[in-house]
Amino acid sequence: MKILIANRGEIAVRIIRACREMGLPTVAVYSDCDRTARHVREADQALHIGPSEAASSYLRIDAIVDAARKSGADAVHPGYGFLAENAAFAAACRDARLTFIGPSPEAIALMGSKTAAREVARKAGVPVVPGTEQPLDDQLSDDEVARVADRIGFPLLVKAVAGGGGKGMRTIDDRSSLPSAIRSARSEARSSFGDASVYLERRLVRPRHIEIQLLGDEHGTIVPFVERECSIQRRHQKVVEESPSIAVTPELRRRIADAAAAVARAVNYSNAGTIEFLLDEDGSFYFLEMNTRLQVEHPVTEMVTSTDLVQWQIRIARGERLDLNPEAALTAHGHAIECRIYAEDPDLGFMPSPGLIRGLRPASGPGVRDDSGVSVGYSVPVFYDSMIAKLVAWGGSRSEAIERMSRALREYEVLGIRTTIPFFLWLMRQPDYVAGRYDTTYLDRLLVDRKGESFSELTSEDEEIASIASALDAYLRANAHSPAAGRSSSTTHWKQAARREALRE
Amino acid sequence: MTFDIEINGRARVVSVERAAAGRYRVTVDGTPHLIDAERVGSFGLSLLMDGGVSRDVQIAPGGAPGEMLVRLDGRTAAALIDGRRTGRASADGGTHARGEQAVVAPMPGRIVRLLVSRGDDVAARQGVVVVEAMKMENELRSPKAGRVKDVAVTAGASVEAGRVLIVIE
Repeated sequence: MKILIANRGEIAVRIIRACREMGLPTVAVYSDCDRTARHVREADQALHIGPSEAASSYLRIDAIVDAARKSGADAVHPGYGFLAENAAFAAACRDARLTFIGPSPEAIALMGSKTAAREVARKAGVPVVPGTEQPLDDQLSDDEVARVADRIGFPLLVKAVAGGGGKGMRTIDDRSSLPSAIRSARSEARSSFGDASVYLERRLVRPRHIEIQLLGDEHGTIVPFVERECSIQRRHQKVVEESPSIAVTPELRRRIADAAAAVARAVNYSNAGTIEFLLDEDGSFYFLEMNTRLQVEHPVTEMVTSTDLVQWQIRIARGERLDLNPEAALTAHGHAIECRIYAEDPDLGFMPSPGLIRGLRPASGPGVRDDSGVSVGYSVPVFYDSMIAKLVAWGGSRSEAIERMSRALREYEVLGIRTTIPFFLWLMRQPDYVAGRYDTTYLDRLLVDRKGESFSELTSEDEEIASIASALDAYLRANAHSPAAGRSSSTTHWKQAARREALRE
Repeated sequence: MTFDIEINGRARVVSVERAAAGRYRVTVDGTPHLIDAERVGSFGLSLLMDGGVSRDVQIAPGGAPGEMLVRLDGRTAAALIDGRRTGRASADGGTHARGEQAVVAPMPGRIVRLLVSRGDDVAARQGVVVVEAMKMENELRSPKAGRVKDVAVTAGASVEAGRVLIVIE
């Protein structure tokens, strides 16, 4: 099996790693700005598929299928995002006799419609959050929409039917903000998914986001895993995930896992998927949606269950039987936390911070895993998602994992651009986070309360060290031996280096 | 050599003098320190302070032109050295002519929506324009209360970092 990876960034690198461990050759695809990206350099083969804009490259089904044909690949792994939940892409692969490493186009299409997926869950006996059963008709007047909203009850969420990752989603507290929220949700849904349809859903006041990873094979076996908790979200975008959840008892775990497996069985699901639930304060849970792909946060499950989910995806696609021990899959060994490291400036309202990575030293050491997609000398482009790496820490207990994460964040060095590392260091110290007292609204509330204080707050001693280092840096640059500064030609550079080496002898 | 160093908005006068190989006399606002300093790679500095206290610092150019970023124990601060900083583009705009302030694109992106037009009165921190970059819509706010003097871009336009989008007077 030769696998083309229809993706970029850290997930493409993650899939290459799994393939290499299985002895399978890999083919990368890349856009103009990704010529020197890590996935291109690490794959066995790499084919150019178009200009930098995702719509002209990573979202082009024809270009990717063509690249697969040219490279001699016989399977395609879609990663997450881009075409991962595009039923037409899965169908195009099937038509081109390429093994799509994921569920069937039919399952993707069905569960990709959030409204249809809610219907599946209801029929499988799994509770769903109250909301509109059909996408909202875009011909409805503001008044008519308001009447629909009144029937469900405020507060509400407007969500993209084709949505995911918080894109095309807005909260609505009352009638007055309804039209503008729907308008901006539609606009973002159109630009993110190419589909502007949205629906309304009741917003639970203080829910926790709990999700069940599962694997299904092509012989009818479904294995659900111990839950992940992803309640730490900024503007509906997950930023920290962990497994297991502090809010889930063994008894509740079994019930949620059974519900997830029931939904997956109802659509004859195969390969990796995730069922997302909201857990209310009273312990009741509701089906939210199903993601018919590998998730960003899959490593936390891998860390606590010692499973390689990507390798399993490939095995399942080859027709192998899932022979995992279901009890072991539902049992967490220790605790794992993941922080999504974004190229964003937390001190500037998390504004994107693309640009050249001048230095990079990822965290390492016991219990630390770095899933990164970047390297020194690579310029983080403006065209795609801003996530550059995922840092995962494992500990014997949750508090050990938090301590380890703090240590790893402190080690993690990214120079040249801003990242969310200082923000995570701050978050790991917040008493409510440490105590596990949070829900999906926690982080946004916490950020409002901060009123824009810096996440890189330095003590006056640290400020002094920073001043001393800045002055020394300026002094050393000014006093650097003049030839060393002359980087006019590489030849002289080499000669100087040789001369320095000779002097040292 | 003497430098005016500003970290997180706080200024200090720092002078540096070479004492011996790898050792420097560094005076911060009149207080002297003898510091062992070694370069590590292009951007790293390993400092050994009094009593061998070890501090590891990296100083590298940041994304915005002229910006230096100092990294210390996982935190990052912007440094201003002798007033040299062409300005870190800010969500709250950069300074412009007297009494005027500009809302500047903090990163390359595409103008999604203009929320104000020329002549509109705006409140401080009111959203004025939405810029899309890295699949996110970012609302830029007015740096002050005032009137929109100029809207220098149109919806759909691509802009570079540092480009003036809107001027508030």
